[in-house]
Amino acid sequence: MELSTLPQQLINGILLGSIYALIALGYTMVYGVLKLINFAHGEVFMMGAYAALFASWALGYTPNNALTGSNPVNLIVMLLASMTFCGLLGVFIERFAYRPLRTQPRIASLITAIGISLFLQYGGQLFLPSSPAPNIDGKVNPFIGNLEVTLAKGAGTSAAAAADIQSKAAVAQKSYDDWKLSHKGADEFNLPADGQALLNVKHDTDRAVRDLKDRGDSGSLKLSVPRGQFIMLVTTVILMGMLTYLVMFTKQGRAMRAVSHDFDAAALMGVNVNGIVTFTFLVGSALAGAGAMMSATFLSGTKIDTFFGMLPGVKAFVAAVLGGIGNIPGAVLGGLLMGVAETLVVWLGYDNYRDAIAFVVLIIVLLVRPGGLLGSSKVEKV
Amino acid sequence: MTFWQTRLGSIALALVFCFSLDQFALHQNSFIQRLVVLAGLYVTLAVSLNLINGITGQFSIGHAAFYQVGAYTTGSLAGAFFNKAHLPGPAWLILMMFAGAIGASLAGLLVGLPSLRLKGDYLAIVTLGFGEIIRIVVQNQKALGGAYGLTIAPRFQAIWLVWLLAILCISVSRNLLKTAHGLPFLAVREDEVASSAMGVNVTSVKVTAFLIGSAFAGAAGALLAHFEGFISPAMFTMDVSFIIVTMVVLGGTGSITGAALSAVLLFYLPEKMRDLSDLHLSTIVAVGICLVIAVASIKRLMDHFHGEPRKRAGFMAGVVMGAVVLVPILGALLNNFDPLKTSVEGSKLRLVVFAVTLIVLMLLRPQGVFAHHEFSWAWVRKLFRGTVKAPEGVA
Amino acid sequence: MKIQTNYFSWQTGLATLALGLGLIIGCGSGDKAADNGATPDATKSAATDTTATKRPAPTSPGVKPSGDTIKIGVIGSLTGDQKPWGEDSIEASKMAVKEFNDAGGLGGKKVELLVGDSASKAEQAKSAAEKLISDGVIGIVGEVASGHTIQIAKSAFPRAIPVVAIGATKTTLTDEGTHVVRVCYTDDLQGPVVAKFAYEALGLRKVGVMTDNKQPYSQGLSKSFSDKFKALGGEIVGESFYESGQTQFSGQITELKAKNPDGVFLSGYFTEVGPIAQQIKQAGLNVKLMGGDGWDSPQLLVSGGDAIIGSFFCNHYNNKEDRPEVKDFLKKWSGTHGGKEPGTTMAALGYDATKLMLDALKRASVAKKDYSSRDIIDALNDTENFPGVSGKITLKGNGGNPPKRALIVEVRSQADGFQVFRKAYEASEVTK
Repeated sequence: MELSTLPQQLINGILLGSIYALIALGYTMVYGVLKLINFAHGEVFMMGAYAALFASWALGYTPNNALTGSNPVNLIVMLLASMTFCGLLGVFIERFAYRPLRTQPRIASLITAIGISLFLQYGGQLFLPSSPAPNIDGKVNPFIGNLEVTLAKGAGTSAAAAADIQSKAAVAQKSYDDWKLSHKGADEFNLPADGQALLNVKHDTDRAVRDLKDRGDSGSLKLSVPRGQFIMLVTTVILMGMLTYLVMFTKQGRAMRAVSHDFDAAALMGVNVNGIVTFTFLVGSALAGAGAMMSATFLSGTKIDTFFGMLPGVKAFVAAVLGGIGNIPGAVLGGLLMGVAETLVVWLGYDNYRDAIAFVVLIIVLLVRPGGLLGSSKVEKV
Repeated sequence: MTFWQTRLGSIALALVFCFSLDQFALHQNSFIQRLVVLAGLYVTLAVSLNLINGITGQFSIGHAAFYQVGAYTTGSLAGAFFNKAHLPGPAWLILMMFAGAIGASLAGLLVGLPSLRLKGDYLAIVTLGFGEIIRIVVQNQKALGGAYGLTIAPRFQAIWLVWLLAILCISVSRNLLKTAHGLPFLAVREDEVASSAMGVNVTSVKVTAFLIGSAFAGAAGALLAHFEGFISPAMFTMDVSFIIVTMVVLGGTGSITGAALSAVLLFYLPEKMRDLSDLHLSTIVAVGICLVIAVASIKRLMDHFHGEPRKRAGFMAGVVMGAVVLVPILGALLNNFDPLKTSVEGSKLRLVVFAVTLIVLMLLRPQGVFAHHEFSWAWVRKLFRGTVKAPEGVA
Repeated sequence: MKIQTNYFSWQTGLATLALGLGLIIGCGSGDKAADNGATPDATKSAATDTTATKRPAPTSPGVKPSGDTIKIGVIGSLTGDQKPWGEDSIEASKMAVKEFNDAGGLGGKKVELLVGDSASKAEQAKSAAEKLISDGVIGIVGEVASGHTIQIAKSAFPRAIPVVAIGATKTTLTDEGTHVVRVCYTDDLQGPVVAKFAYEALGLRKVGVMTDNKQPYSQGLSKSFSDKFKALGGEIVGESFYESGQTQFSGQITELKAKNPDGVFLSGYFTEVGPIAQQIKQAGLNVKLMGGDGWDSPQLLVSGGDAIIGSFFCNHYNNKEDRPEVKDFLKKWSGTHGGKEPGTTMAALGYDATKLMLDALKRASVAKKDYSSRDIIDALNDTENFPGVSGKITLKGNGGNPPKRALIVEVRSQADGFQVFRKAYEASEVTK
């Protein structure tokens, strides 16, 4: 636990939490209208990552034939591919797996959801490339490098000491290079004794230079965000803004809120309930698709297999419940809180409990506020 | 027959069943023995979860946690005390069963208490989370073997005890339902507020359900630990919890018979699938398409035959026959497409078939195979004679 | 009220009666099993205490081959994360058996290879092993992962069926019994080799360690690396943990970076190492990365991108080695795989393990006409200088762990040959 890394860890947490929030929105919206935990939502997320992967392949970024250089248009194409595919998949699942069971006890839909989740996980292995797990080529991402902000400068070092150490390093480097020139074909890793001695001296001086730099940097406070992940955060915020507009200020949104408030009464008032449910699944799943595309692209190298959605799915579900399931701002708040809680646990030095903290926070919050942070716990009337 | 004659008779029958199963399994190979033992443990798990979910109407999806607590309690006790105790194997095993049950029921109390404030989905996520917390905590304990797992010194193979536990679990559930003690549980399931108004102590009912349910899961965990001789956190993941919930719901929430039978079936199905030979992808796709058509037509057209059981059965049979005929034809047609020509190892299909079974059964019979019915002799008589008598099952 | 009393008395009655009866009968049957300790079926309710002695020998007389063919099992992951290794090892195993049969089999009898899928999960490995044993195999080849092999070994012990592990490096594995041997090195060699290389050849002094907490392999390797590195005089500046399945490691990396390490040791499998390497580079931590044989898959280059190039890991052998066994194996493999070289070293180890099993089978059958699986165990433990693709294998007097060489390779792009051999260590150089 070092105080100096705390600001950076908070930023890491928000970046992580924004993805949780995007997935949690899908859970919470579906729960809002149908009172159903859509356990297959994590698998929709997984399929979104595959859609993005295939889109990137179609754009020419295959592992064998990786293009160099990219532009944001490629990313937008991938994002749209992933969102469209997930939206349609969500609607398809709702139409054929949940709608026939809508009049039945909710537990039946829940088990069907588990069934679909298992089906996509294991059935997907038959059709999708999963082992060895592929990943989206890092070159598709044009936003490389970091955005850095220096909050405080380091202690710095005395110029004399620095010059001394650096000159020593230069001498050692030179004598090793000279030795190498006179011993052509020497294997760097199996040197004779004299060469090894020179190499050791070079290693020692190199370390001294590094130590000097580290000492100089001590006390400095720098924040850095990978450019790609910054774009991810911005996109997430834009999507959430669009969602808020959709829910609060459009006719569809008003109908959605009405259905969420009272399913039957909304139907009696002339709301096309089935249409609204379909629309909800479309929007919620598309958001998951956006999250999947972004987390698979901007965390380069992340493997995509059919279990890609399991862990984020569960955590996003926890985030949704934490914020108060059915409550849209709650899902965002829950997601961000979860992300920050996870990195804070790492910051405290308990990395091995990173996956457990989500649930610990959840249980504590639920004991205090049984309806979640922003949810209301209504007493059922008889 | 008097009360005690029936009771003693059934106890004797249960014992005979357990020991004959034991003797039968001992002459089989170790693979079959393992199946028999694990099936018994899953019956216990499903029936004990049914007590919480089905009978009391709570929604727990973290049953594997209690299973794990039981297993690790006995695991660490066996490591510390077995060599000092000088007990004969079975006595030790029964002692450990109680230890596991106590350990798990303490954990059950821990989860049961917050459940007083939480309902439905909130409770579900708390139980799920509790399971994960336990798994991760165990994984990080050096004393419990960490991710590598814990070796348990004496390995016992007591098939009779496993099934005795299952039967005990079934009979406790059944007797709870059959007596006045079970009524509060059912009342809480049907309506918490109303039952509270009628003087039912909702708190104590819920906690009792969690206590009993988790105690049985813990005892099952104890037996598992001693049977396998080795336990690791990877054996108690969320999937295990989901499978147990699925067993309960598929059998019919609230039905003990359903939970027990679907536990055996759902455990056996994926294991059986290990023997499946390689299949062409085209065949799999063909089966999938036919299944969709069959389910859709049954869902759509079944209502036309409402109240006419014969026609219903005939229609079902027709659809199934049609599907069976259609599969090879469609398969042969699909085999002309190149991407579908690849062959797939049968063992990869294990969990796919499991998932499809789940979805199809839920679509066709959302209330579970047995719904809320129980096995009863009256029902058997009805089946054979065709006369309708009032079913004996409760609620 | 009457019902209530009934309920209580009968419920407690049932419980005490059943348990009491069970106790009596159970004790009886337990004693019986103890009396018949010599019966072949040692799985009966008798307790098998595996911790009393180091490397216990199976007491059962073993299984005799029956039927027209001699059955041998191989277990590997055909699904899941470890599929590249499982497929390679099973393919190689099939190749070895085919070769054996083509050369005439065992006195005219053919060897039949049964395949079990462990699906990258320990409990599936156990089920697969029990299934193979019930199908009548007299020996099992496998697995690649230590956690899986331990389960297989436990299932094989009561029947005295030999297990030849392919790539399971966990040191305590062979404590399971004399029936388990391996053809690879152990973590006691691998971790220290990397530590020695890091300290001496790379001149690193401050190293961070990242461990996959879900994998026993990773935990063991991190420990053996850290111990040796500290013993050499280096410092472990930070230890981070993650679980396979996580995708974002920035929290752990930020903490490591604050400790200013010279290098980072990643003891996990290649599936997570790639993204971690990329994120380490992204965080601005420009240090040498090192790892164990869990890195061994060409997929590492795809997921690690440029960030993984120039890192080092420890491996069992190298395709470029100039030994006749290696050349012969590569020729045979590329002949059946369209001219390609095997992607992972598990192919070579799987081939060695199967050949060793078949060799022991042959030796056992020559020595004794009426041989059983227990004789194969003895033959395996008597192996001396078996010429394997991955080097000479001597099991006699080594407790199932052959002393082997460990190679440090550098990760290069696919065009440069992926694994470039850097330095070889003999077992005696590292362990005291």
